Amino acid sequence: MRPTPSFQYHAPKTLEGAIELMGTLENVKPIIGGTDLIPQMKEGVFSPDHVVDLNNVAELNYVREDNGLICIGATATHNQIAASDAVKKSQALLDAMTMIGSPQIRNRGTITGNLINASPAADSAPPLLVHDAEVVIRSIDEERIIPLTALFTGPKLNCLEQNELLTEIRFPTPPVNSASAFKRIGRRKAFTLSVVSAAAYVEMEGERCVDARVAFGSVAMTPIRASEVEDMLEDKTLTASIIAEACLAARNHVHPITDVRGTAEYRKDMCEVLLRRALEAALERVR
Amino acid sequence: MIVNFDLNGEPVSVEVEPNMSLVDMLREELGINSVKKGCELGECGACTLLLDGSPVTSCLLLAPQVEGCHVTTLEGLEKNSLMIDLREAFIENGAIQCGFCTPGMLISSYALLRDNLHPSAYQVKKGIEGNICRCTGFTKIIEAVLDAAERITPE
Repeated sequence: MRPTPSFQYHAPKTLEGAIELMGTLENVKPIIGGTDLIPQMKEGVFSPDHVVDLNNVAELNYVREDNGLICIGATATHNQIAASDAVKKSQALLDAMTMIGSPQIRNRGTITGNLINASPAADSAPPLLVHDAEVVIRSIDEERIIPLTALFTGPKLNCLEQNELLTEIRFPTPPVNSASAFKRIGRRKAFTLSVVSAAAYVEMEGERCVDARVAFGSVAMTPIRASEVEDMLEDKTLTASIIAEACLAARNHVHPITDVRGTAEYRKDMCEVLLRRALEAALERVR
Repeated sequence: MIVNFDLNGEPVSVEVEPNMSLVDMLREELGINSVKKGCELGECGACTLLLDGSPVTSCLLLAPQVEGCHVTTLEGLEKNSLMIDLREAFIENGAIQCGFCTPGMLISSYALLRDNLHPSAYQVKKGIEGNICRCTGFTKIIEAVLDAAERITPE
């Protein structure tokens, strides 16, 4: 089984070179890990005339903390991100990086690809959403920085133009009085897609939660934040009953569908369960 | 186009079409048959090999992407002491039924034990989560990997 028809393969060594190829070639696709793109090309979802491999662009391969921002370069793999010092400050993202795919996928796949693929079930999305992540997008003409929420425009749809590359994902370094967690449920434990996933972030001043952020995967057209649920947690002492109320309310702020992996009703039930687990794990970590 | 890379310690140079996958190049052009073609979509792990030391599924790489890389397959680990321990543990624990998943299982188990000499049963399961045994012989495989870890552990 091959990606057909064939294409021209380009392996630029610099970002400028890659951007120029993206801007001048017709029907072009960038490739990094290829863990989504290669199957899609084999199945005929995409049939590019040109493939631009970004793996040799050294300046895109990093995970670093810079001026209060954690910055992840486009070609950093899941395992590379999980092993970095910078991402140890985001437990939710670290959770997701060890759950996503399989060892083989984590050695090759990237957050960039996971986000660009724009599956509502993308496991890297909820943790990045609770960190208020932004993405840097480059083309020949401009650089634009948009919130991650604006990248997703629908199931399997993103806002990138054909000539654009996502070059960096970044989010503010979480303060020491904060913690986060990511939980998911799949059809099985190993190497599986999420049926529902949830990320929670809490920032505490003593017993009071001063900032709460909640995000879900696989329960809407795109990965989503649930600001109404966040409002129920902020400026409160997070007692078991406050958490239970917020988790119950989460059911009304998600819009899941019934598909081969689960029913809409089951997904609503699991939002309640997973949010509680994520909040409890985050609170455990902050203490 | 020409791809130059290191295969099991030997430099090789192969003429390929850009849309050829790494597993096809190894099987069809280089006679490397330990990498098996199962799903060809990165789900089953039968084509697992080591790319610069890390396990990856060779059906998800384009042949030109290994330019300048080190590719290691089971053939290149035939005399490796860790692989010999693993192979013997697989045989003695009955961790093989049809054998189709075995090369991929051995490569994933090798990478796991190389990086972690004392894995727990859970860590072994995580280590081989990208490899499917359709005979469903997972229990014996997990026992074999744990047994191999015992063999290499110094007293």
